[in-house]
Parts: sequence; C-alpha cells; structure tokens
Amino acid sequence: MDRTRFEHLLEAYGADFARWPVDERGAGEALARAHAAEVDAMIAEARALDAAFAAAKATPPPNAALTARILMAAPPARRPQSVAPAAVWALAACALLGVVLGYGAGALTQPSDDGSYFAAAFEAPPEAPPVGDQG
Amino acid sequence: MIDPDAEIVRRAGAGDAHAAEALVRKHLPKMVGLARRMLNDGAEAEDVAQEVFLRAWREAPRWRPGAAKFETWMHRVALNLCYDRMRRRREKVDPDAGLLVADPAPLASDAWLAQQRAARVQAALSALPERQCAAITLVHFQDMTNIAAAEALEISVEALESLLARGRRAIKAALADVAQDLIGDADGASRG
Repeated sequence: MDRTRFEHLLEAYGADFARWPVDERGAGEALARAHAAEVDAMIAEARALDAAFAAAKATPPPNAALTARILMAAPPARRPQSVAPAAVWALAACALLGVVLGYGAGALTQPSDDGSYFAAAFEAPPEAPPVGDQG
Repeated sequence: MIDPDAEIVRRAGAGDAHAAEALVRKHLPKMVGLARRMLNDGAEAEDVAQEVFLRAWREAPRWRPGAAKFETWMHRVALNLCYDRMRRRREKVDPDAGLLVADPAPLASDAWLAQQRAARVQAALSALPERQCAAITLVHFQDMTNIAAAEALEISVEALESLLARGRRAIKAALADVAQDLIGDADGASRG
C-alpha cells in the first residue's frame, strides 16, 4: 500500500482499521506503524472525528406504538383451503353449462301430441285367464 | 450469497406472527436509525420505517432469495423514501431544521453539552448532499461493511469510498468552529 491509498482510506473509513476493507487492513496497520512520525497527526485527526460520530451515535429505540402498528399490518396467516379457487370456478362453469345445454335441448325438441305413451302408461294390462280354466 | 433472513422472511410472508415479530425486532431499530440520521426528524423517521415494513409485508410472500439480501433491499427502500422526503424539503427550507429544540426539563450540564454536541454532528450530517449523508450514515452510524453499504447504495466500493471521504471532509469543516470543544471532548469521552 502506498501513502496515497493509505490517506484515501483514512479519509473514507477513519482511524478504526476494523472499518477498512478486509484485504487492506493489515497493510494499513503496517504502514501506520512503519511511518508513525509522518501519519500520526492524520490518524489523530481522523480518530477525533470518529469519536465525535461515536458520541452522537445513540438513538432512542423505536416506540411501542410504531412496533404495534407495523405488526398489525403483517401478512395474515393463510387459511387451509380444501378446494382450490380454480376448482370452484371450474365446477360453477360446469353447472352453468349443464343448465344452458338442458334448456337448449328442451327448446329444440318438438312437442308431441301423441297420447299413446300416456295411454300405454296408464292403460290396465290385459286380464289373465283364470287358473282353473286351463285344461 | 446466503441471506440470513431468507427463512424468517418466508415464514413472515406465510403469516407466521412470530416470524414477523422477529423481523421487526431485528430491523426496525436500523430503519428508524437510518431515517433519523438522514432526515433529522424523529416523526418522519418513524413514518419512513413504517412504510418500509408495509412494503416488506407486501414483498415477503413472493420474496425469492438471490439477487440481494432482504436487509439490503430494506435499506434501499428506506434510502429512497428518505431521498424523496429530502428533495421535497428542499423546496421549502426551514432555517431552524436540525437545531435542537429547548427541552423544558432541566438537564445536568454534562448531559446538556453531550446533547448539544450530538446535535451539531447531526446537523452537519444532515447538511451533506444526500448520497454523502447516506454513505456516512450506513458505514459510520449503522456499522455496515463497505461491501454491504455499497450494495445498499447500488454503487461500487470505490464510489462509496469517494462519498465517504468527501462527506467526512465536509463534516470536519462544518465542525471547525467548535472543533476543540466538540471533537476534543468527544475524543476524551470515548477514551473514558
């Protein structure tokens, strides 16, 4: 790592090497040790700003009412469905088709005046001969 | 890429109340903290955090782990909501924005000074251009790694470093008039 890169990283991430890119931390610390006389003042300045940030870091926790409002809006539990909505629609469509076809077939059929079916249904059957008359 | 939230998001999306609660417990403080830093307004920060979660609840049932972690996605949503509000604010600038409102309750002098110092740092942060403010907030206040912060901002790590360096220089300059008191005391406090 050269001095320019060191200064750039110090300006970006501050004096806490734990914030530096993982693969450049070691080189940064080594340069800081090897050139302490030249970079100590810069590190102290960066550390002071880090400390100002740290002192301003605390924030109050989210209030309970906000938490409750957010949880109220969370997705509801899914109810178990025995029949899929698509199947319900398919059944309804079949029923409707059946009604339409039945109505259509009735309308297309010619009404019959032939009363033979009616007569056949209600006419008394021919009388059977008495059992004793035979032979 | 392994998303540590993948399972909990799936369960929350399926209506598991415990999973939703765990997700809120884990991420709500971060969302409120991020928005508070960006907007310097507690009520607006809560509105932003609530909106982030409303969108999270809509997204959770169809969330497919892969391109980004759920946490990164939440940060992006929060940042975009903050940017929108910051842009709207620019149309009517409140000269008192960021100044500490006098608290009627008496404070011990140390607590008062600490509050004033924090308010100065926060005011300097809020005065930054939005992307610099976001970069400083994510890395120095939310403790995100450089890679995670770059992903949340949808920029390269090099671009993040540039934003951070410019942001830190600007804050240092903004605090120059009180540097000895502000930075010196904060430094002492952090060592103590």
